[in-house]
Amino acid sequence: MANPLRREVRQLYKNLLYLGREYPQGADYFRERLNSAFMKNKDVTDPKEIRKLVDCGEVVIKELGTLYYLREYRTMKKRFYEEELLGLLNIGRPID
Amino acid sequence: MASRVLAQCVRQLPRSSVRLSSGNIALRTAAVPVLFNPRPLSFIASSQRTRWTEQTRISSSVGVFCRQYGDLPPLTIESIKERVMYVLKLYDKINPEKLATSSHFLKDLGLDSLDQVEIIMAMEDEFGFEIPDVEAEKLMSPQDIVQYIADKKDVYE
Repeated sequence: MANPLRREVRQLYKNLLYLGREYPQGADYFRERLNSAFMKNKDVTDPKEIRKLVDCGEVVIKELGTLYYLREYRTMKKRFYEEELLGLLNIGRPID
Repeated sequence: MASRVLAQCVRQLPRSSVRLSSGNIALRTAAVPVLFNPRPLSFIASSQRTRWTEQTRISSSVGVFCRQYGDLPPLTIESIKERVMYVLKLYDKINPEKLATSSHFLKDLGLDSLDQVEIIMAMEDEFGFEIPDVEAEKLMSPQDIVQYIADKKDVYE
């Protein structure tokens, strides 16, 4: 693997590990999956192929960011918006 | 507006609590007694700076806040080595019995470059600063890490 690409792969792994700390199913679960995904492609030597895989990793980073943003948005909506809406419509919560 | 409200509050206080000259409105507005329980303003992490606020009283009514800064005892080579070894022993892929300060991560401990990235991340969390990837590649044993952290934190023998 070429040295610049090697650094990029390491940086990608590091960034994904940082993002994985907030993963809903747990950091350990994410770490195992991430490690196996990287180890699956450890024998790839073609720079173009490596570049393609790194780009896939960048897309995963964006997807994870979106996932966390969506989770926050849903929580906020659930916490505030629904309460407000129920109040406006004068609807009480259903009895459990 | 705010000064007027404060002045009214001060006027309503009992005379014993306000011992200021009646002509000085600026002092009068500042004379609102502050009931304050000293507690941490910001507690980030055990390894980082913690701020405590304490109160001293001037003329028995004006609350003045004094910040006092505290820090951990200075690092030594030994303390860095202990912390590095402690973090490495907690890492699940390292056998603590095989671990020594001169052990090479790849050759002696059977780790790969991805595990080394995880170790460097753990060190970043432990010591509270980022290790650039260019330099992280060169840290291949606990001794290298100890030396690097000592250099960065200006710790000498």
